Order: sequence, then structure tokens, then C-alpha cells
Amino acid sequence: MDKRIFIAFLLAVPPTFAAADSQWILKQSTLTYHVSHPLHQSEGVSHAAKGKGVCHAGQCDFLIAVPVKSFDSGDSNRDLHMLQVTRGAEFPLVTVRTRLPESAETSAMVNADLEIQFAGQTAKYKQVPFKLETQNGETHITGTIPATLTDFKMEPPTLLTMPVKNEIPVRVDMTWLPQP
Amino acid sequence: MPTNALRHGRSRLHGLVVVGLLVTLAPFLMGQTVGSGILTGKVTNASGDAVANTTVTATNVDTGQARTVTTGTEGTYRFDMLPSGSYRVKFEAAGFNTMEIPPTTVSGTVAAVLDETLEATAGGKVTAPQENLPNAPSSNTAAPSLSDLGLTPEQTQGNAREQALLDKRTHMLRIHQRMGLITTIPLIATLATSLNAGGKNTSTSSRYLHAALGGVTGDLYFITAYYAIRAPRIAGTETRGPIRFHKAMAWIHGPGMILTPILGIMAFDQKSNGEKVHGIASAHAPVAIVTAGAFGAALLSVSFKF
Repeated sequence: MDKRIFIAFLLAVPPTFAAADSQWILKQSTLTYHVSHPLHQSEGVSHAAKGKGVCHAGQCDFLIAVPVKSFDSGDSNRDLHMLQVTRGAEFPLVTVRTRLPESAETSAMVNADLEIQFAGQTAKYKQVPFKLETQNGETHITGTIPATLTDFKMEPPTLLTMPVKNEIPVRVDMTWLPQP
Repeated sequence: MPTNALRHGRSRLHGLVVVGLLVTLAPFLMGQTVGSGILTGKVTNASGDAVANTTVTATNVDTGQARTVTTGTEGTYRFDMLPSGSYRVKFEAAGFNTMEIPPTTVSGTVAAVLDETLEATAGGKVTAPQENLPNAPSSNTAAPSLSDLGLTPEQTQGNAREQALLDKRTHMLRIHQRMGLITTIPLIATLATSLNAGGKNTSTSSRYLHAALGGVTGDLYFITAYYAIRAPRIAGTETRGPIRFHKAMAWIHGPGMILTPILGIMAFDQKSNGEKVHGIASAHAPVAIVTAGAFGAALLSVSFKF
């Protein structure tokens, strides 16, 4: 009798553990910041983000890191100015941490609390909406992080003595792959 | 002259005031010492160099509450107002093994100092094992760390020297930009006064005014150029975008700004001698116009998006 219970337990438990320890890896990403100036509208794009999610007990912890230097606006002079303003040589990475329930995978929308480390500062963004789309086993996530320069204590860069706007929204477009 | 009784009375009063203050402030002082403390330290590598951008997490053993800070370029970190108690401290930096030290006590009496030396992963690179490869899953069920992402130390370690270079570059180019804008004022004025300086019915004063404005333009121009030429170069940067056109224009307005005043002096002398401007000096106006045009184009190329 005891043996039977034990075998039944062994058969029932492994799937539960397997589900608890699943992981996600970032397959590809496009992060785009937008800067507004009275004379210019410019965007910088990076495809160099690396990310990983670890799920345990129904919660998934995600970490995404992207080198500041990897953002390309098509103008090397602007990129160097952005690198200086964002203290990118001193703090070379932007990291984003978030925790989401494992069940969010099946939702069409998810609101994430983000903790972003950038330019030696940490800013928290509450309930940032992201759109989720799962296709062929891959999860596609899109959304915009409402970042501002003051969130990270940055001095607005100027062109012809006119400063850029404080808002630097970052568009996020990522494809995540689940790992067993 | 105070009497002994009066002196004793005063000293007793002072004593009472001190005791009263101590009694009144005791709860606050106790609150400071017992309630919270400071945890600080420095993170270095095996060579003793500071490790910047290390994520330091202090987790209260009793409550499980965690706080995270990041080390600066000096490798130092600091937790202020940390509730007194026992803390587990974890150090995470890409390219280094994650270190977690046994619980340390934080109290309000003195700042707890916790220096840590991190060991680089094999060969200083994130190579093996398999779970440390870029984007490879690991068997670790804890929250992912930077070392899980396969970033190289070059990508994660701050470079204070390069930042200082970038700061200097931006500072010099900001002056370059402002001086360039200021230079346009006498430049336009010089072009405007050229109409009265070079015609048939010109006066000596018009020529002097034109020459003086041209001189001011030249001086300001070379100050502007100095700040661009002397701005530090950042290694490994390929010039792309409108800045290429801006720099290309300098090959026109630069020599033009040298040639224009030389030709101008020659034209000035010929005109002052009552002669008609002739020979190479007659190129003064066309060269000046091309120079001013190239200068304007250089300015506009970085100001507006075409």
C-alpha cells in the first residue's frame, strides 16, 4: 500500500517541479529611444539586449541588460553625446528587472513593474503595459517605457543652446523563447 | 562676587539641565543606535582594482527584506538607514563569480564596513560552464544575474577615464557650437558691408569697417575651430551621419578663412592706392562667398534634419 502511494507520488510530482523551474531566454530584441528637440526628432536603436527569465513557484524573474554603447542613431556625433550625457562609459549597461506571474504568458496584455538601472541611478516604473503575442512557441512582447531624463538625474543635452525634451520614451520589441 | 551657595545652586542647575536633556533625548538617541545603521565597503578584483557596476544585495536574515545598490567607479557601495539586524550580502558582477558572504551584523553604533574581493570567472571571460553562455538557460532557480547573460567584462565594467574623455569632448564641442553661432553674426555683417567696400563709389571708412568686421570674424572662427580640433577623439568611433558633411565642409571653409583675409589685404591695398582691384586679389569676393556658404552649410547640417 505504502509502495503504491510512493509510486503515485513519484509519478505526480516531477511535472510539477518541471513547471516550477522553467526559464525564458531573449531571442531577439529592438529597443528604440526617442528624443525630441525643437529642430530635431531622433531615434536610437539597439538590437544588443540580452535577457533571461527564471520561473519558480509561479513567479518569473526577468533580467534584461543592454550596453549603452549599442544604441545607434545613425549619427556618430549624437551617439557620443548621448554616451556622455548618460554616463555610458562609467555605467555601461542599462538593466531592467521585473517579476511577472507565470500565468501572464497566456494573457494578451501584461502590466509590469520595472526596475531600471541606468546612468548609475535606479528608477521604478509601475504597471507599464506590454502587449503579448504567442506564436510558434515564441512570445512577442511590445510596449513603451515612459522614461524621462530626470528619472535618471540626467542633464538634457542641448543643440544650438536649446535643450531636448525631458521625455525619452523607449519602445520595446522583444521575442522570448521558453526553455524547459 | 557670587557666594558659594549661589555657585552650588548654578552647578546643580547645570547638572539638572544636562540630566533633563539626556532623559529627553534618550529615546531619540536609542532610536538612532538601535533602529538603523550603515553598511559600506569596497569591491575589488584579485589585482586590487575597483570593480564598478557590481550589484550588492543586502538581505535581512530575519525579515527577508532585501535592498540593492550598485558600486560606482571607485568600487564603493553604501547602504544608508539599514534597519539593524543580521544581513546576508551578495555581490554580483559580470565576468566575476557571484559571492555571498555569511551574515554580518548592522547596528546603529558604527558603520559596518564590508570589503569584498571578487574572483574572475575562468580566464576573465564567461566561457564555461554551459549555463553561463549567452542566453543559455541555467539550472539556477534564483533570479537571473548579469553573469547569466554572458556579457564580457569589457561590456560591464565602467571606464572612468573614457567618461572623463567624453566629458571633456562634450565640453569643448559645446564651446565650439556656441562660438560657431557667435561667429555667424560678424560673418553676416562682413558680407553685408562688402557691398560698400568693393564697389566703384567706396569710402575709406567703409573699407575699414569691412576689414575690421572681417578681422573679428577670422578671430572668432579660429577660436571656434580650435575647440573642434582639440576636442578629444574617442577611439573606435567611426564617423557616421550628418557630422561627416559638417567635417567635409571644414575642408572648404577652413582654407577659405585663411585665403579670404590674405586676398582682402591685397584688394584693400590696391583700392587704397586708387587702383581697380586686379589679379589674384579679385578672387577675394568669390572666395569669401564660397567660404561663408560652406560655413553656413556646415552649421545647418548639424542643426536641422534634411
